[in-house]
Amino acid sequence: MGWFLRVGLLGVLPWVQPSLADEPGSAERGRVLFALAGGCGCHTAKDGPVGAGGGEVPTPFGKFYGTNITPDLETGVGAWSEEELIAAIRDGVARGKGVESPAMPYYWYSGMSDADVRDLVVYLRTLPPVRKENRPHEGELPFARLAYRLWRTLFAPRFERVRERPREPIARGRYWVDHVSLCADCHTPRNFLGAVRFDLYLAGTERGPGGDKVPNITPHETGIASWDEDDIVQLLRTGFTPEFDNVQGWMAEVVEGKGGGPGYRDVPEEELRAIARYLRTVKPVAHKVEAEED
Amino acid sequence: MRWMVVACLFGAAAWAHETTKEALPEGPIRERHELMERVGKQAKIIGDALKAGKVEPVAPAAAKIADEAAKALPLFPEGSTHPRSRAKPEIWQQWPEFEKLMGRLQADAKATVEAAQSGGDVRTAANRMFGNCKSCHDRFRVPEKK
Repeated sequence: MGWFLRVGLLGVLPWVQPSLADEPGSAERGRVLFALAGGCGCHTAKDGPVGAGGGEVPTPFGKFYGTNITPDLETGVGAWSEEELIAAIRDGVARGKGVESPAMPYYWYSGMSDADVRDLVVYLRTLPPVRKENRPHEGELPFARLAYRLWRTLFAPRFERVRERPREPIARGRYWVDHVSLCADCHTPRNFLGAVRFDLYLAGTERGPGGDKVPNITPHETGIASWDEDDIVQLLRTGFTPEFDNVQGWMAEVVEGKGGGPGYRDVPEEELRAIARYLRTVKPVAHKVEAEED
Repeated sequence: MRWMVVACLFGAAAWAHETTKEALPEGPIRERHELMERVGKQAKIIGDALKAGKVEPVAPAAAKIADEAAKALPLFPEGSTHPRSRAKPEIWQQWPEFEKLMGRLQADAKATVEAAQSGGDVRTAANRMFGNCKSCHDRFRVPEKK
């Protein structure tokens, strides 16, 4: 009888566990998501203010500048509804403008859960409003919005939309890597049309964002096969490799946050550990990214 | 004939590509790169030891880092740059600062040796030592570029 009761209780447990998707949005949880998203650093210039736009994103298709996502009514997103903000993050549709450029990785964010994207939006509303006009992109294509729409149709990966994030650690690690922290975005190369090379998933690229070299983070000897879970957590938390060399450039910005905002180092360790655990399980890919010397 | 032209063009492109990826020249630039690699290996020994809760490997490794730090400055003669080197010109523009950081690395490495040998707070001492690596890299080393 005892075992029967226990089995019965286990069966009921998923039904009684509170679902984040049913709770109201939380700025506190949203701040953690913002940190896990590397502080949404493209939307912050080097010296801040946080979210006020101006982060530079050089691409083969021109230089883009992150937009003002503070709640300023005229120059930011203060007048946008929750639905409009969510559509911008997950669908790549900017209010009143149309499809966004692929420099905004909405296609990765498209797999962000309903609960998480709502928390993120609630947090964005708490940023101090900053009046700062958006800087136009440099070298934008003619009929750019049409081109962006075409690109989205042809090349944007599509991910299943979920109500809330996975609970199991490795699945949750994958969720952070692909849909929130976007390790997959920077560490996966693209072809000449900007389409993601899934055959080299997380295998690094010599032409990463900002022109930085981005290393292979798969568990192959040309990647981080020799790193254990603790090594990965240490890097995400402190920016130090196991040799105590420190990351620089974009990776340093996502670890430390940008303009005084939060970054990976402000994320609870269990989430960084979930990322590390997942990265240890991905398919090892032989792909050497040549390093410069010291 | 056409395939020969194409093959030659590919060959030339490959050669040009390899040339830009040439090894560092003999001399101080290569020597300092090798020195930093040796420092990295010792740093990993210390990191692994601390992770495993062992103190014994720390003192010899930190002593080697102190020795390497003492040899580093002469390997940065003024203007010693190379396309594959990430040394910033600020090294020579702000030499006293660079010199100070290298001196601090040496002093903090010795303090780590002492902490390990005397039962002191090895983790704090080691973290202070590694903090110098970051301070120096952030100011005087270019992030990796394509």
